[in-house]
Amino acid sequence: METRGTSLELSFSQTAFPLETIKKAAYRYSDSLSFEFVVESDKVRLLLHARKPMSAGALVDLAHALRTEVLDQDLRAIVARETQAVRNAILAYAFSGTGLQGDEQV
Amino acid sequence: MSKFKALATYEETLRTGYELLPFNFTALDEVKYVLTNIAGQYTVLDRHSIETFVNHRLPETSATYDELKSKHFLIDADSKVSIDLLALKVRTKLERVADFTALHMFVVSLRCDHSCPYCQVSRQSDNRGAFDMSEETAIKALDMVFRSPSKSIKIEFQGGESMLNFELVRFITLRAEELNRTQHRDLAFALATNLAVVTDDILLFCRDHDIFISTSLDGPADLHNKNRPRPGGDSYERAIQGVQHARELLGRDRVSALMTTTKASLGRARDIIDEYVRQGFNGIFLRPLSPYGFAIKTKSYDAYEMDEWLTFYFEGLDYIIELNRSGLRFSEYYASMILSKMLTPFGTSYVDLRSPAGIGIAAIVYNYNGDVYASDESRMLAEMGDQTFRLGNVATDSWESIMTSEALLTPLEESFAASVPMCEQCAFEPYCGSEPVFHHATQADFVGHKPTSAFCNRNMAIFRRLITDLTDNAETRGILQSWVRA
Repeated sequence: METRGTSLELSFSQTAFPLETIKKAAYRYSDSLSFEFVVESDKVRLLLHARKPMSAGALVDLAHALRTEVLDQDLRAIVARETQAVRNAILAYAFSGTGLQGDEQV
Repeated sequence: MSKFKALATYEETLRTGYELLPFNFTALDEVKYVLTNIAGQYTVLDRHSIETFVNHRLPETSATYDELKSKHFLIDADSKVSIDLLALKVRTKLERVADFTALHMFVVSLRCDHSCPYCQVSRQSDNRGAFDMSEETAIKALDMVFRSPSKSIKIEFQGGESMLNFELVRFITLRAEELNRTQHRDLAFALATNLAVVTDDILLFCRDHDIFISTSLDGPADLHNKNRPRPGGDSYERAIQGVQHARELLGRDRVSALMTTTKASLGRARDIIDEYVRQGFNGIFLRPLSPYGFAIKTKSYDAYEMDEWLTFYFEGLDYIIELNRSGLRFSEYYASMILSKMLTPFGTSYVDLRSPAGIGIAAIVYNYNGDVYASDESRMLAEMGDQTFRLGNVATDSWESIMTSEALLTPLEESFAASVPMCEQCAFEPYCGSEPVFHHATQADFVGHKPTSAFCNRNMAIFRRLITDLTDNAETRGILQSWVRA
């Protein structure tokens, strides 16, 4: 983690975390920060810029929170992947027999 | 032969493990997370437990395993019934959508005798002809009311001050009852009023036709009169007198009150709640200002930050829980609606906490001039010159064209919380709402940028507080459970 004034740079391994995971995590903090994504061959460099004046300590705290959020997003991706089929089955079952389809028997 | 099965029969789960069922998780604080399944049932775990669970390393013999299994976060070889139960609960949560538009609001007049700076409807003070709904418009609007398939129909009279055009209220009520003789709906009426011009004649009609009275009470006299000026400066006195008289004639439970939080209200949560207790109400709805109408024009909306309102809200909530501990049955109504979503499989009729949004499909507004709006907030926005949520006019448009208009379908579809950024993976999504009107008004977008959304930030703070209270303190949990309305 490298800090420059009101900016800070994080680095994530592309092997460990897909770009979408990092983007979703960044989005959550887009009230306090804006971002630059620099995609390199094996890593993503994420530059964090404070939207409003904040102390270096506060920026570091946000960076820690964002890194935890990346891990959380990674877990969410696992859950989404493993439960996609059963989620669709639950929703299909929930909306079955509603009479919303023209030829459906209610 | 033994009547008992071999132990190996019951060890299948140990061999086959468990499968995850769909869930989301969101941080409650530095340590704990709340998890919710697709039907809104919740549990609280630390991050390590979530990681263990998601990576299929959670021991079948652990208490956490039992908790997650009983609340349909996982299934194993024992039974697959969780899938059926979740589907049933999802369907139950959304059953109101199938009922369609139940709440029909008639703006019978835009005239009002008050000059509240936070007025969201941009009331007018004179010119009865220009700002009162006509019988012709009312007839066309009533025809639309009964086009809704909802088994329950509630007609709510709004304003301005609805009692200033009470003859039309009388007309609409009688005509609706007449139409209902062949429609056979569960028909109810409500009247929003400041009670300043109430008469016995009006109250007796309300009694005879079971019209529920909803009035405004912002707090003790000094606060209420500061917030709600009228000629004579006696809004509070008239409201209290009206409440007491209405209770005498209609019954105690036929009158309710709403407050609005202004800058002057901050720091006085206890005073406001004490006033409601003193006046014999069973609860209070601690409401923030909405970004519409005169609230914008007079800068009342910008008078305080959301953090200031949350401080006010939590002071109020703390005090109400304290009152409950002392033996008084008194609830905070916003928390009550959320708790019902958290602790029962049922949804809510409250438009702001619905996804898909309640605009048009739960509530609809017929303005004094016949314009039809997707919600009361949409009408307020129109008074500011923004007609985005105007669906048509009763004189020129049909029910079908209004309910299938792009003005309605586009915000409904785009704002559906389960498919928008952040909401789709938020553990609080089952308890929250879409609010496309609010996000359009504040961010010029039906979906809204949730990290900067006052609606999102406010609700997430309240959700976190309620889940924490339900989890951390048995006595508080019991109090909050008593507020649940199925």
